[in-house]
Amino acid sequence: MSGTWISTRAWLMMLPLLVVMVAVIGWPLVDTVRLSFTDAKLVGTEGGFVGADNYVKMLTGSNFQRALITTSWFAVVSVAAEMVLGVLAALLLNQQFRGRTALRALMILPWALPTVVNATLWRLIYNPEYGALNAALTQLGLLDSYRSWLGEPGTALVALIVADCWKNFPLVALIALAALQAVPRDITAAALVDGAGSLNRFRFVIMPYLAGPLLVALVLRTIEAFKVFDIIWVMTRGGPANSTRTLSILVYQEAFSFQRAGSGASLALIVTLLVTILAVAYAALLRKAAGAS
Amino acid sequence: MSALEIRSIHKRYGEVETLKGIDIALDSGEFLVLLGSSGCGKSTLLNIIAGLAEPSGGDILIGERSVLGVHPKDRDIAMVFQSYALYPNMSVARNIGFGLEMRKVPPAEREKAVRETAKLLQIENLLERKPSQLSGGQRQRVAIGRALVRNPQVFLFDEPLSNLDAKLRMEMRTELKRLHQMLKTTIVYVTHDQIEAMTLATRIAVMRDGRIEQLGTPEEIYDRPETLYVAGFVGSPPMNILDAEVTGRGLKLDGCEEILPLPASFKSAAAGRPVKVGIRPEVLRLAADSPGPRLMARVEVVELTGPELVTTAIVGKQRIIASLPPRTALSMGSTHAFTFDEAALHLFDPGSGRSLRAA
Ligand SMILES: Nc1ncnc2c1ncn2[C@@H]1O[C@H](COP(=O)(O)OP(=O)(O)OP(=O)(O)O)[C@@H](O)[C@H]1O
Ligand SMILES: [Mg+2]
Repeated sequence: MSGTWISTRAWLMMLPLLVVMVAVIGWPLVDTVRLSFTDAKLVGTEGGFVGADNYVKMLTGSNFQRALITTSWFAVVSVAAEMVLGVLAALLLNQQFRGRTALRALMILPWALPTVVNATLWRLIYNPEYGALNAALTQLGLLDSYRSWLGEPGTALVALIVADCWKNFPLVALIALAALQAVPRDITAAALVDGAGSLNRFRFVIMPYLAGPLLVALVLRTIEAFKVFDIIWVMTRGGPANSTRTLSILVYQEAFSFQRAGSGASLALIVTLLVTILAVAYAALLRKAAGAS
Repeated sequence: MSALEIRSIHKRYGEVETLKGIDIALDSGEFLVLLGSSGCGKSTLLNIIAGLAEPSGGDILIGERSVLGVHPKDRDIAMVFQSYALYPNMSVARNIGFGLEMRKVPPAEREKAVRETAKLLQIENLLERKPSQLSGGQRQRVAIGRALVRNPQVFLFDEPLSNLDAKLRMEMRTELKRLHQMLKTTIVYVTHDQIEAMTLATRIAVMRDGRIEQLGTPEEIYDRPETLYVAGFVGSPPMNILDAEVTGRGLKLDGCEEILPLPASFKSAAAGRPVKVGIRPEVLRLAADSPGPRLMARVEVVELTGPELVTTAIVGKQRIIASLPPRTALSMGSTHAFTFDEAALHLFDPGSGRSLRAA
């Protein structure tokens, strides 16, 4: 009896929050779904019902397909690089040396920076006229003349991936470092006595402790990378020649630059669905990994 | 031939000197126990032998070869850790065989060695399991198996039984003794448990504060402790230590008129000097009519442990404990006459704590 009373009170106390959530998340979501079946413009026309037209147009259009490929590239390469860099940094920071604590604190800095600041910073580094990268490469004799790293379709995406990695590998490093510190000293000592070299120690003895936490980092980072918007928007706005136009950029352009609210909404829902599929797949993977250990 | 030689090993961590010059030479087949209380440097010494820590001074010889700067894997040693340190992701068989695997022993040969070791330790039926599916005692066997399978020159054990419950600890102790008698391996074994030390060792090194207090066979450590510390550390209940003075008539206990005889081996102690007299609880008996020295003491507390009656009594102002047979008739609060074999007395210098036994 007191159970129902408590649960009534619990619902009552959560009510204000639920109302807010329905208002700011639920309602826009429902409205987005409605919009996606109309040919509404951002301003002006209310738009009429067009069925699944928007979806068909978006899914079969070359813009979407190209953006999907760009996004996948961005996500796979940047996350892979972040994982490798993060683990290497963690292994390094797990060693005993002077100034280790200071270095650990310093390493978090890129991750702590707001993305916009980070993006602006890298734009300066890549600047075609006075950028540090051009200066460094020419001074080292690796480059004959200054290049516009963000201005050429061949290099812009790579340049973005580098900037994104720099910002996000510390998170992976932090997670990996925490996992490394949970490896019992006796176990690594036993592996030393057993004659395992550093590579075998990493593979057979340390990796099992890292795998779980790294999988979590992988999930988090892939989903984030798949949704990437801000760093690209600040650095290239999807250009040049749409070479860095990811799905989120495409959604923005469709809905706001071209003011096509209807098809923009359908695209947004497609991206949401893709990310949800990723998330569910990873959740299953995580459950399986947890079951195995 | 000495299997292991420890030569004036020093170790400092910053300002603190943890090991202050350790010298031990071990013959092949010896079972050396490093015995001492927490923090005295036992693990540090073991890690230095294993190559997991570098000494600040001194030398380690294994099989007559200096191993300073030699990688742990090339020292011909194996180590069993207090935490077992099994690889959690590997099966028992792979755990045991990992050292061989890393040394590139062919799989067939490796598997044979693992099987033989498992048989020796009676864990053949566990080979496919993961460490998390084992009990503490089984894990300990696997950890021992991992060391045994490599057949090294020297085995190092760091408190291998301290995580087991009392009954299992006794079983494993016997098991270790059996293995040592059968395999005749050279072992260095760290413990702070004096029973383990007494039962397992062929020699015990009692350590205190980074030094060796006494090195000797279990009998020597028990029968002829060289210092008060050793006397108090080995034996349970610990040796009674009483303040006394050497007089012309014998040893006069402080605070009362009791006189104990001065044993022959301490005759050189000068009259008038203060001494600490040690008597083990187990040498004390109720006097009845038997001849021999007398010690009058008032019984205060008796505790029956099962095999013995631990009796606390007061002599003058000093407390003394006697381990008596369980069905001894005692009346609480009254004074009883105790007797003992006078050769079982120990005399120590109160200042230095060293034994006054004539060499
Ligand atoms: N890496 C280290 N840095 C600084 N001091 C250390 C280090 N390792 C050990 N010590 C110190 O050296 C002393 C001896 O430590 P050790 O681990 O050898 O003791 P132990 O005899 O094995 O004790 P226990 O029975 O508790 O295991 C301790 O005072 C400890 O604080
Ligand atoms: Mg220790």
